[in-house]
Amino acid sequence: MAAIAMKNVVKCYGKAKEEAAVKDVSLAIDEGEFVVLLGPSGCGKTTILRMLAGLEDITDGELWFDDRLMNHEPPDARSVGMVFQNYALYPHMTVYENLAFGLKARGVPKAEVKQRVHDMVALLGIQAAVDHKPKELSGGQRQRVALGRALVRDPVVFLMDEPLSNLDANLREQMRLELARIHSHVRVTTVYVTHDQNEALTLADRVVVMEGGRIRQVGTPSEIYESPADTFVAGFVGSPGMNLWTLRWEDDGEGISLDGALRLPRSFRPALEEVGATVTVGIRPEHLGMSLVKADVKVICRAEFFENLGSHTQLHAHLVASGTDSSVHELLQPDSEQSQLPYPSSQSRDSRRLVARLDAAASADPGEEMVLTAPAGAVNLFDPVTGIRMGEQSREYINASQRYLPA
Amino acid sequence: MTITARSVAPERVSLDEAPRYTPVKRRRRLLPLRLRRLQDRLVAYGLMLPSMAVFVMFFYIPAAYLIYISFFHWGVLSSATKFVGLANFRILFHQPLFFHSLFTSAYYTLVMIPATVLLSLGIALLLKEAVSRRSRGAGIWRSAVFLPHVTPVVATSIIWVWIFNPHFGLANFVLTHLGLPALGWLESVHWALPAVIIDSLWHSLGLYVIIFLAGLSTVPRELLEVARLDGAKRYYTFRRIIWPLISPTTFFVVLLATINSWQAFSQIFAMTGGPHGGAGGPAFATTTDALLVYQTAFIYEHFSLAAAMSVILFGIIMTLTLIQKWISDRVVFYR
Repeated sequence: MAAIAMKNVVKCYGKAKEEAAVKDVSLAIDEGEFVVLLGPSGCGKTTILRMLAGLEDITDGELWFDDRLMNHEPPDARSVGMVFQNYALYPHMTVYENLAFGLKARGVPKAEVKQRVHDMVALLGIQAAVDHKPKELSGGQRQRVALGRALVRDPVVFLMDEPLSNLDANLREQMRLELARIHSHVRVTTVYVTHDQNEALTLADRVVVMEGGRIRQVGTPSEIYESPADTFVAGFVGSPGMNLWTLRWEDDGEGISLDGALRLPRSFRPALEEVGATVTVGIRPEHLGMSLVKADVKVICRAEFFENLGSHTQLHAHLVASGTDSSVHELLQPDSEQSQLPYPSSQSRDSRRLVARLDAAASADPGEEMVLTAPAGAVNLFDPVTGIRMGEQSREYINASQRYLPA
Repeated sequence: MTITARSVAPERVSLDEAPRYTPVKRRRRLLPLRLRRLQDRLVAYGLMLPSMAVFVMFFYIPAAYLIYISFFHWGVLSSATKFVGLANFRILFHQPLFFHSLFTSAYYTLVMIPATVLLSLGIALLLKEAVSRRSRGAGIWRSAVFLPHVTPVVATSIIWVWIFNPHFGLANFVLTHLGLPALGWLESVHWALPAVIIDSLWHSLGLYVIIFLAGLSTVPRELLEVARLDGAKRYYTFRRIIWPLISPTTFFVVLLATINSWQAFSQIFAMTGGPHGGAGGPAFATTTDALLVYQTAFIYEHFSLAAAMSVILFGIIMTLTLIQKWISDRVVFYR
C-alpha cells in the first residue's frame, strides 16, 4: 500500500495550457483509503487515473507514491493494478491465464503463481470459471476476473475506471457491495473513477468532485452531500440535484423575504449581509415537505405535475411570489443588476424550477399554489457570483489546493 | 406579377370554396407470399448477374476448359483434337525440368512466406509505433512503403536488373564496400533466384504491411496498457498478446503469399529474360512452375501439356491452402 500525493498536476494534450484536461490538481490520498473521483464526462477524472497508472505523461506538477517521485516511472515500475471500463481481459486466454499473466511476466515462480491465482479465485468466488475464456463468462464474472487480475499482483495502488458502467442495474448494485467487501479485505489504496454518484457516495471514504479539469470539492460522502462547496457540487450530487434559486432578500421585520417566494428566519440575516442584496439559496428536494407544523422556512410554489415513484412522490413546480400570479422569474427585470451577473454555466438553469420529494400520498392540482416547508438547517447559501458556499466551508474551499497537499 | 397574383389568390377563396384534399388511396394488389419471395429472389439474381457473367465468362469457363484440354492433344490452330487420357500427365512425370520447376517454385515460396511475414509485420509494428508516438512523417513512411506495390512489376524489375548487374550494379557496389565478395546475381545459378526473391519482396511488401497494420489496429489499446501495467516487456507482450490476436491476419497473409508465390511469373520473366537468354535462366535456375507453363504453352506450343501442368499447379495450391486452413482452425484465434 502507498499514500498518493499529487502536487499542482497539469495535463495538456495540445500546446495551449488553457485547454488542459487537468488543471492544477493537488490531492493527497492516505494509505489504504478508498477515494472516488466523481464528475461529468470530460471533467478530467479518467486522465488523472491514467496519469496515476503511468499511461499518460504528466505535463506539469508532481506525483508521489509515498516518498517516490513517480512522474517519469514507467507503468510496470509503479506496482499499480487497474480495472478498465470494458474489463480488457485477454480474450485468447482462460481465466487462469488472465490472472497469472502479470505474475508470469514478472518472473514469479510457477508454484507461487498457482497459489496466488488459487487464492484470488477463492476470494472472488469464480472457481467454476477458471478454465473458461472471457467470452464464455457473464458480465459479473468478467468484472470479477478483471478485479482479480489487478489485485493478484498485490499492487500498492488499485485504480478502477468506471468498472461497473457496463453492468445492468441489479448486477451493478451486487458488484458495488462486492467491491466494498473486497476492499475491506485487501485494504489497498484505491482510486475509483465514476460519474455515478450512488457508487461514489456508497463506496468512498472520500469523494473528489471534479469539473472542467479542476477539483471542486474533496470530502466524505456526507460532507459532499450535506455541505456542497459550491453550486456545481450542489447541483451535480444528489438525484435530483439541490434546488438552487438566485433571489433578492429583504428583512420585513418578521423574517427574511426572498422575492416574496421564500421566507427565512431572521437568524440568517448576518450571513445574508455578507453576500449582498442577492443570494443563491439551495435546498435539497427531500428537505422540502408539506408539514403543517410551524416551520422555519417556507417556499411558495405553483405545482406543475407529480411523479409517483412508489415510495414517494416527486413534485415539479416553480416558485411564485406570495399572493401574486407573477413568478419570481418575471419579477427580475431583464435589465436589472442580477440578470447581468456572470453566473457559471451550472447556475444558468431556470431559476424558478423546484423539485420536492414528498410523501407518496401528497397531491395537488396542477397550477395550485402550495406552501412547502423546510428546516432552517436544510438551507444552503451560496455566493450568486462565484457560486461558492457562504460561511466557514467556502473559505476552506478557496484554499482547497493547499489543504489537500501533504505536509 | 406572378408573385402578386399568388399572394392575392388565397384571400379571394372562402373556406367553403377551398379545395378539399382527400388522400388518394393507392390500392396495390399484393401478390401471394410465395410469388413475392420468388420476385425478390429474381431481383437478387438480376443484381448479381453482371458480375456472375464476368466471372463465368473469364474465369470458370476457361478454368473448366483448361482441365478439359489437359486430357486431350490440343493445338490453337490445329483442328484435330484427340483424347489422350492421362498421357499429358504421364509425360510430365517423366520430365526432370517439370520437377525442377516444382522444386524452384517450392524454394521461392518457402523463402517468400517467412520473409514476407517477418519483414511486413516488422515494418507494420514500427509504423504503428511511429503513429502512436505521433512521430513526424509517419504517414509519409506508410505511403512510401506501399508505393512499390502500385508500380508496374515489369518497370521496377528492369531497375532491379540494373541493381543486380554484376559489373556496375548497386548490389555489388554495396557488398564490396562492406568487404564482402561481389556476387554474380542474375548471371549466377545460385544467386539468380535470391535476386528475384529480393525484387518480389520489395514489390509485394507494401500490400502485406497495410494488411498487418489493419490487423494490428484490431488489438484493443487497453489490452496493451494492461500488459504494460502487468509488467510485460515488449517482446513478451508481442509474443503473448499481439501475435495470438493478429493470428487471423497472419493466416491471411501466409495464404495470400503462398498463392502469389506459386503463381510468381512477371518479375521472373522481366528479370531473367532479354540479355540473359530465355526467361527462367541461367540454366533454368529461376524456372518456376508458372514460368514453365507459359513457356510450354506459348514458346513450345504444347498447350495440352501446359494445361496439365496448370492442373497440377492448381492441385498443389489447393492442397496447401487446405492444409493451412486445417492448421489455422487449430492455431488461429478468432474473437
